[in-house]
Amino acid sequence: MSEYLYVGKNIPRTAEVDKVTGRAIYINDLKRPGMLYGKIKYSEYAHARIKHIDTSKAKKLPGVRAVITGYDIPDVRVGFLRDQTVLKKDKVRQFRDEVAAVAAISPEIAEEACDLIEVEYEELPGLFDPFEAMKEDAPLIHEVDARGRPIRTNILPLPWKFEAGDIEEGRKASAYIVKDSVETTWVNQCCMGTSGCIAEFDMNNNLTLYNQANVIFWDKRRIMEYFAQIGLKDSKVRIVNPIVGGSFGTKLDTDIYEFIAIQLALKTRRPVKILFTREEEFFALPPRQPAIFEIEQGCDKDGKLTFRWAKAILDNGAYTSWGATTPSVMMMPMSSLYRVPNVYFEAKCVYTNNIYCQAMRGYGNPQATFAVETSMDHLAEEAGIDPAELRLINCNHSGDVTPMRLKITSCGLEECIKGVKEKLDWDKKRGKRNGRGVGMASLIHVAGGARVYKSDGHGMIIKVDEHGHVDVMSGGTDQGQGSPTALAQIIAEALGFRPDDINLVFGDTAFGLWDAGTHASRHTFIAGNAALEACAKVKRQILELAVVELPKLIKHQIKRQKRKDPDFKEPDLDFSLIANPEDLDIRDRIVFSKKDPENPYFRTEVSNILREALHVGTGKSHVVVAEAFYDPPTEMLDREFKGNLSCTYAFGTTGVEVEVDEKTGEVKILQLYAAHDVGKAINPTLIKGQIYGAGYIGVGYGLTEEMKLEKGRVMNPNFLDYKMLTAKDNIPVTPMIIETDEKDGPYGAKGIGEPGLVPTAPAIANAVYDAIGVRINDLPITPEKVLKALKEKRKEK
Amino acid sequence: MIDYEYLKPKDLEEVFSLLKSYGERAVLIAGGTDVMVNIRNKKLAPEALISLRGLEDLAYVKKGEDGYHIGALATHRMLETSSLVQSELSALYDGASQVGSVQIRNVATVGGNICNAAPSADTASPLLALDAVAVLRGPGGSRKVPLTEFFTGPSQTVRASDEVLVEFEIPSEMGQFGSAYHKHSRRKAMDLPILGVAVSLKIEGEIIRDARIALSVAAPTPMRAMEAEAYLKGKKLSDDVLIEAGKIAANEASPRDSLRGKAWYRKEMIETFVPRMAHKALERLKNR
Ligand SMILES: Cc1cc2nc3c(=O)[nH]c(=O)nc-3n(C[C@H](O)[C@H](O)[C@H](O)COP(=O)(O)OP(=O)(O)OC[C@H]3O[C@@H](n4cnc5c(N)ncnc54)[C@H](O)[C@@H]3O)c2cc1C
Repeated sequence: MSEYLYVGKNIPRTAEVDKVTGRAIYINDLKRPGMLYGKIKYSEYAHARIKHIDTSKAKKLPGVRAVITGYDIPDVRVGFLRDQTVLKKDKVRQFRDEVAAVAAISPEIAEEACDLIEVEYEELPGLFDPFEAMKEDAPLIHEVDARGRPIRTNILPLPWKFEAGDIEEGRKASAYIVKDSVETTWVNQCCMGTSGCIAEFDMNNNLTLYNQANVIFWDKRRIMEYFAQIGLKDSKVRIVNPIVGGSFGTKLDTDIYEFIAIQLALKTRRPVKILFTREEEFFALPPRQPAIFEIEQGCDKDGKLTFRWAKAILDNGAYTSWGATTPSVMMMPMSSLYRVPNVYFEAKCVYTNNIYCQAMRGYGNPQATFAVETSMDHLAEEAGIDPAELRLINCNHSGDVTPMRLKITSCGLEECIKGVKEKLDWDKKRGKRNGRGVGMASLIHVAGGARVYKSDGHGMIIKVDEHGHVDVMSGGTDQGQGSPTALAQIIAEALGFRPDDINLVFGDTAFGLWDAGTHASRHTFIAGNAALEACAKVKRQILELAVVELPKLIKHQIKRQKRKDPDFKEPDLDFSLIANPEDLDIRDRIVFSKKDPENPYFRTEVSNILREALHVGTGKSHVVVAEAFYDPPTEMLDREFKGNLSCTYAFGTTGVEVEVDEKTGEVKILQLYAAHDVGKAINPTLIKGQIYGAGYIGVGYGLTEEMKLEKGRVMNPNFLDYKMLTAKDNIPVTPMIIETDEKDGPYGAKGIGEPGLVPTAPAIANAVYDAIGVRINDLPITPEKVLKALKEKRKEK
Repeated sequence: MIDYEYLKPKDLEEVFSLLKSYGERAVLIAGGTDVMVNIRNKKLAPEALISLRGLEDLAYVKKGEDGYHIGALATHRMLETSSLVQSELSALYDGASQVGSVQIRNVATVGGNICNAAPSADTASPLLALDAVAVLRGPGGSRKVPLTEFFTGPSQTVRASDEVLVEFEIPSEMGQFGSAYHKHSRRKAMDLPILGVAVSLKIEGEIIRDARIALSVAAPTPMRAMEAEAYLKGKKLSDDVLIEAGKIAANEASPRDSLRGKAWYRKEMIETFVPRMAHKALERLKNR
C-alpha cells in the first residue's frame, strides 16, 4: 500500500480553469461600492529640488475627490532603510518619485487631474553610475538617514562581506588563476497582471487592503508600523489577496503606491483603487538590480578549486528595498556552488539617481551565478580541462558542509551535470569553434525554506465537514505558481481523500496563520510540511470518530439488510479489528480496517463517519479541525553570514547548444536541457511548467531583456522595446527531473520555483564562447555585442 | 481625456464629405492598430474617427491584365494567406506575415501600414521592391503616386488631408521577378524591424536583368537603394557581385543610432542581408 495515489501524478490545475476562461477576479476586476480611482504624479527629473507644487487646477476638475502632496500627509519615512517618504516634497531623486496623487471618480479623470498638477523644479546634477557615486567628492543623494544623522557617502550602510578560509593560501596553492569582470543589467519582472490595490477603511478606521502581497503578514506589519506613526495605532489591518497574476519578486515589499492608496482612502473616506498601467509597471516598480562583479578563481593542477574571490557593486537606485539584501543570497553560489575551500566575497550597494531595485526570481543568485559560472569556464580553459569535467571534479555532494555552513543533504548535482552532458552529446560537440557550441552552468539555491526572517514558519488550518469536503486555510499566498494543486495532492494523499475534495483558501491575514511568504522557492516545501502535520492530526481525529461510528454504521447496515431479507445471515464480524484508531486507515475517501482491508463491512465512505459524528442528537457532536505550524529546524545567518538557513538545497544544471550567426551576431538556441534535482516531483507537469517558465526568463536574461536607462529614465517602458520572449520564439527547453528523495521534504520534495532561471544565462554565454571563441561578459548577449566582439577578434588576428 | 466620435461612412463620397466638414479634427481609421495606440499615447487627440471599415469593397488582392491590385483595406492576414501573394509577390508575403501577431494581422491593413509611414513599416520595403504605385482618391478624382515618391518623412506622406488611399498597383512584369524580404528583429512576434531589406530580381540565365533593393529603418523613410540596383543590372550573378551590391546599398543608406539599434549595426545588416535576400529571391524563382 505504499504506492501513492496522487503524489507524483500529473493532476491538472483545476483551480486555473477560471483563469483561462476569464472568470477569475484579479485586482483589475475587483470593485468596491463607492470606489474611487487613484493616480500618481511622478517626477519629471532624475534629481531635482521641488520649488513649488500647484494643485489648484487639478482640484477644480469635476470628478476629482482628493489631491494630495507631501504637504497633506504626515512626513513619515517608509521602506527597508526608511530612506523615503510616501510623497516627496523637498527633493526628487529618481524619475519614479511620487510627488502627488489624485483620487477621482474615474481613472481617466484622475489621470487628467495629474496632468493639471504643476510642479516647479530646480534640476540638480544626477549620478547614474555607481562608480561615480562612490567617489569621495560625489554629491550625496541622501543628506540624512532615518534617524536624522548626516550621511557622508552614497554607499549603503550594509556590511556585505563574507570570508572563509584563507585567500592567500588558496592563491599559493593554485596552478591556474583567472580573473574576469562581468556585468548584469536591470530587468523587469514582467508580471502578466499589473500591480494594484484597493484600500478601504471602515468608520472605525480599520483597514482592509486588497493587494497582491506575497508576504501578507509582513505587509500587515509594515502598514501597522506606518499607522503607528500617523496616529492610527489602534486601527486593525486586514490584507486580502485577489487572484494574483504573477509576482516574481515585485510583491515582496510594500510598495509606495499602496501607502498612497491608503492616504487617498483616508482622505476621501472611500475605497480607493490604484491600478498600474504597463508603462508604470516598467518605470514605477523596482526591477532586478544590476550588478558588476570582479571575480577571481584558482585551481590546482588537478582542477581542484583553491579559492574564489569576488567583489560586487550593485546599483541600488535612489532608495532601498529588498534588492539591497540580495548579496546575502549571492553569497550562496559564491561560497557553496562547487567545493571551494577559500572564499572572499564583498558587495557594495550604491545610491544613484537611477530607478531603485528589489527582488526578482532568483534574488541575486542569477547575477552571482553568471559571474561564478562564466569564470568556471574560463578557468577550465586556462587549466586545459573540459569545463564539464572541472565541474564534476569540484561537484557538491551529499554530506558536505560548505564554507557558508550550508549542510548539503540530498544532492543530485553530479547526476544533473552528467545528464545534461549526455543529452547534449557534449564530448562530440564541444570545442569545434565553427559557429556552433555547447555550454553549461549549474546552480545551488535554497530549497527547504530560507530563514531570512526570525520565523520561517507556515501555519495551516484544515477542517473537514460532514460532506467530506476539506477546507484548507493557508497563511501563504498563491501567485499563480501552482502550489495549490501540489498542496491539494499532498493533503489528499496524507488524509486519504481526493484532490477534488480539497479547497484551498490563501492570502487573507484574517483567516490564515502566520506564513513567511511565497518566496525563496519555499511554499511547497514549508506549506507541504505544515500540511503533513495538520493532516496527521485531522486523520487521527477522523479515525477516533470512526472507532465509535463505524461499528454503529455496521450494525445499522446489518439491521437494514435483515429487514429487507429475513433470510439474511448475519456475518461473523470481529469488531476488535476496528477497535482502535491505529487499526484503521483512510484511502481514496474510504475508511477501512488495516487488518481486514477487503472486508466490505469494515469499509465506508469517510463522509458517513463525519455525518454520524456531527448529527448525533446528543450534546456530544463533533467537528473535525486541526491546525499545524511548521517552522523548519534551520538557522539565521550569523554575523559572518554563515549558517544553515535552509533545510535542504536545490541543485541543477542547464546545458545549451547554440548557433551563432557570425554575420549578424544573433544567437540561436538549438537545444536547452534543464536538469533539476527536485527531491521528488509532487506533480511533474507543474515542475516542468516551473522549469519552462524559468528557462524562458533565463534565456531572456541571457539574450534579449534589458531595461534601457538614459540618465535615470527608463527608455523602453513597454513590451515593444523591452524584449521579453514570446511563445513564437519557441525556445526548445527540455526539463529533466532528477529525484533524490529529500528526507525532510514533504514526500521528498524540494523547492523549484526559482532554480530554472539561475544557470540559464551563463550556460548560454559559455556556449557562445564555445561556438565563436569570444566571451560576452555583460548581459544581455545582444547581436550588436557579439558582432562587435567578433570584429575586434578578427582585427587582432 | 480620451473622447471622440466614431463615424462609419458607407462609401467614399460620404468619407469625403465627412473629411470636409471635420477637416483637421478628424482622423481616418482602418484597422486602428496605429491610430488607437497613438491616441492612447496622446500623440493624437481627434474629435472624430472616420472609419474606413464600411468600405468593404476595398479589401481585395487580385491579378488582372494590367497587373496586380491590392485594396488599401486588405489586411495583412489576407495578404499572408493569399496564394497569389505567396508565389508571385513573395516579398510582400514575407512582410505581411511578420507584422505583430495573428490578432493584429487580422485587423491591421496594408493601407494603414503605408499611410502611417513609419520608417519600420513591414510592407513598405516589399512594396517598394515590387514597384508599387499608390492610388489616392479625393473629392476631385484620382491620382497615382509611385511609392518611391509617397513618403516624405517619418509619419509623413504626399497624401492630401482630403484624400483616401484606395489601392496599390503592381505592374504585371513584377510577376517575373523573384523577391524576398528580411525583417531583422530580436523576436519572432510582436516586434518591429531593427532593419528591413527587400530584394527583387529578374534573371536570364546567369545574368541579372533587373533588380530592386528596398530598405526600411535605413533612412527617415523607407527607401530604394538605386545605386546598388544599377550596379547589379546586367551583371553576371556571383557571390562577389551580391556582396558588392550590399556594400553599395549600405553606403546609400543613412540609418541613425536609436534605442533599437546602432547605425553601424544597421549598415552591417544591410551588407549582410542584401546578398542573403537576393539568394532567397533567386531560390524562389527557381522553385516556381
Ligand atoms: C501590437 C502591435 C504590433 C505591431 N506590429 C507591427 C509590425 O510588426 N510591423 C509593422 O509594420 N507594423 C506593426 N504594427 C503597426 C500597425 O499594426 C501597422 O502599421 C498596420 O498596418 C496599420 O494598419 P491599420 O489598418 O491598423 O491602420 P490604422 O491605425 O487604422 O491607420 C494608420 C494610419 O493610416 C491612416 N490610414 C489608414 N488607412 C488609410 C487609407 N485607406 N487612406 C488614407 N489614410 C489611411 C490613418 O489615418 C492613420 O494615420 C503593430 C501595431 C501593434 C498595435
